Amino acid sequence: MLRVIIRRLLWFIPVFFVVTGLTFVTMHALPGGPFDSDKTPPALIQQMEEVFGLNRPVPEQYLIWLANVMQLKFGPSLSARGKPVEGFLLPGLAVSAQLGLFALLFALAVGVPAGITAAMHRGSWRDRSATLVAIIGVSVPAIVLGPVLQYIFALRLGWLPVAQWASLGEGLMPYLSHIILPAVTLGAGLSAIIARLTRASMLSVLGEDYIRTAHAKGLARRTVTVRHALRNALIPVVTYLGPLAAAVLTGSLVVEQIFAIPGMGRYFVTSISARDYPMVMAVVVLYALIIVGVNLLVDILYTVIDPRIGHGN
Amino acid sequence: MRRMNLWYVAALLLALLAVAGCTAAPVAPGEAGAPAAAPATSGEALTLRLATVSEPSTLDPNLAEDYYSITPIEQMFLGLTNINNATSEIEPELAESWTVSEDGTVWTFNLRQDVKWSDGNPVTAQDIVYSVKRAVKPETASPYAYVLYSIKNAAAINQSEAGAYDIDTLGVKALDDYTVEFTLESPASYFESISSMWTLRPVPSWAIEQFGEAWTDPANIVVNGPYKLVEWRPGEKLIFEKNPDYFAADNVQIDRVELSIITDQFTEVALYESGELDVAGEGAASLPAEEVARILADPVLSAEFHQGPRASTTYVGFTMTKPPFDNVLVRKAFSAAIDRETMVRDVVGSGVPATQFAPPGIFGAPDPEVGLGYDPEQAKAWLAEAGYPDGAGFPTVTYRYFANSLEEALAQALQAMWKETLNVDVQIEAQDFPVFLAGTGPDVPVEEMPEMWRLGWGADYPDENNWVYEVFHCTDSQNRPRAACTEADEKAKQAGIETDPEVRKALYAEVEQLMFGEEVRVAPYYHRGYTILAKPYLQRAYPTFAPVNWDTWRIEK
Repeated sequence: MLRVIIRRLLWFIPVFFVVTGLTFVTMHALPGGPFDSDKTPPALIQQMEEVFGLNRPVPEQYLIWLANVMQLKFGPSLSARGKPVEGFLLPGLAVSAQLGLFALLFALAVGVPAGITAAMHRGSWRDRSATLVAIIGVSVPAIVLGPVLQYIFALRLGWLPVAQWASLGEGLMPYLSHIILPAVTLGAGLSAIIARLTRASMLSVLGEDYIRTAHAKGLARRTVTVRHALRNALIPVVTYLGPLAAAVLTGSLVVEQIFAIPGMGRYFVTSISARDYPMVMAVVVLYALIIVGVNLLVDILYTVIDPRIGHGN
Repeated sequence: MRRMNLWYVAALLLALLAVAGCTAAPVAPGEAGAPAAAPATSGEALTLRLATVSEPSTLDPNLAEDYYSITPIEQMFLGLTNINNATSEIEPELAESWTVSEDGTVWTFNLRQDVKWSDGNPVTAQDIVYSVKRAVKPETASPYAYVLYSIKNAAAINQSEAGAYDIDTLGVKALDDYTVEFTLESPASYFESISSMWTLRPVPSWAIEQFGEAWTDPANIVVNGPYKLVEWRPGEKLIFEKNPDYFAADNVQIDRVELSIITDQFTEVALYESGELDVAGEGAASLPAEEVARILADPVLSAEFHQGPRASTTYVGFTMTKPPFDNVLVRKAFSAAIDRETMVRDVVGSGVPATQFAPPGIFGAPDPEVGLGYDPEQAKAWLAEAGYPDGAGFPTVTYRYFANSLEEALAQALQAMWKETLNVDVQIEAQDFPVFLAGTGPDVPVEEMPEMWRLGWGADYPDENNWVYEVFHCTDSQNRPRAACTEADEKAKQAGIETDPEVRKALYAEVEQLMFGEEVRVAPYYHRGYTILAKPYLQRAYPTFAPVNWDTWRIEK
């Protein structure tokens, strides 16, 4: 197990260079620069580019960036006149991770039971209605679901706040009440995907011989479902959940905008259109780290769920 | 099976609560169940809850360039002069009085002697000299350094290599602690307007030297205005508190201002409706047309709705060196084919139709407007005279704009109007903003330029010099339409030097008519408008020319 972890971590080194090198070159190849404006005279734009070292050759800029990253400095945000990018990304990640966790929990809490129910009652009204809900969940995007939930639960019923973030420091109830609508919006599509996956995988497992054996030896139906079927059926779900979790935990621009959440999802998009090179690079590195970390976690989870999956050699 | 499902859901819900609870601060039972933030109540601290569409990019007066940065800076740093929010006129702020020499080149400002920084230091003429020098030094790389080019040697110093200049040759000096003198390159009547700008406001040299870029962080910031930044949560909100050391602190009613970053304007209005914001729509951008329509139809909201012109103009630019727009008749035809009323009413939802460049409220802007308005018959006649009767033989041309929903609607409307009136085909082309800017700049080869493009301008200081001269002068501005020099450019320059206000106004009226009525360098078609919702208990001004002054606002409940 330890060897696997070390091997995975070592793999991060080539991944890091490929991902950052490609991103760096692509970003600098895009037309336009961070200080371009119709108001600023070109000479002054050049001045700002010099101050931030953007007039140097791109390979040199990359090496300077690498040297800084080795000291864990991700550089100044060009959109914020030199404030370090960490000052924006880390608080953003903390918020996005909390919101993402709630969204994941919601998606699992809804998706897994719905998938099991549908599989156990294949072809029944329960199966069909679960499938219908899943299709709706997948096809209604957050940009529609978010405002609809806002309208119903905040503006009409007044049960929950319209938008904005409350940290735990402001109290548990404000924290939870502010997180529910965005978490449901973010998790809805996810729960539908999980439900479909769970259903399909449950169905294939339920047809296996060992399930029939378990039934034959007189085990309770519930024991068979949970201990024998579900355990195996969850493997594809967990596989899928890895990259999904990485995306959900790092935020979504749409959900953050609709609910005015100070997460990091916005930086994926705004940093590119603003040509904020250091921010783009920091976001990419962070995301790569999270992907690698989550995949590692998934591998470890496999061995917990199913000891047959070994990593010895 | 149903039982198992319930058990499963219950377990997950428990886990969810456990995760939430394990890091939770203890909470009093009474606090539960009130999701909406409590509205500002009288009695103790008065809190004003505002929103901004974008995070400020900096709070350093010497470096700021955008509306979102200038608004908070206005509350924290005093200018030599201030622009009155109600009248748009220049009034004293730090400077009690000022005089201009006979030849118009030496400006002397006498400062108040009772103004202190929030760390107790007095605000002196030296602080202003430091600020002006800092803004002009090339190492500072201030995007607004160019507005100071009227100061003697400012342009030369700003454009020299780092270190290869003598900063003491800059035309600014402190005659004593409370008198500052500016020497200009040439007479410039608009310098009074420039003296209100953020770029040359006094900044605390000692704090900047101690903390570097971090001097504007809440822990380090030193201010001299009515409000002080106390907290900045990135991406979430900025919190300001009344500065007790402000010299007129007794006149400031509101104790605390929370400026939340709300990117989505629909969310902003929803927060306003649910009582979580006191004002909505106070951004550089107007509210979306569909929201404005809904607000106007709602009896409560429409009573709380305020709209009017803002010092900003949107126009269609012509590439004047590229056929067929090298022909003035074609430019005239395209400008006269834009139905400005319809544009403002049905597409934008706010603002006022424009035929000239400078909007109302700017010194020197002709009133009533001059230039070229909507005249479909005349437009057809001009196009025929140019050799394209009813659009026959007119090549397909391109109108380029930057991608956002309003601009897309505007582009489609323009395309339809040109087709309907002139029977010409215009391709519309959207680009990402930085790509758009890079592709329509003054140095782009003419064969790569679109024939027409979208651009606009917002005031930096309320004087025509900031409009016709700084945007369109054939050699001293970026001159994006690539116009050749004419008498209009002569007059625009002369109007800036002239000292008699009436003579200046007359000159600017001529320039506006020449540039947009005769030569038609661009086709201005609307002045943007503000669209603001404000709770009835808030008393405030709605300035044509931003930024607002929170210290003059009152909450009366």
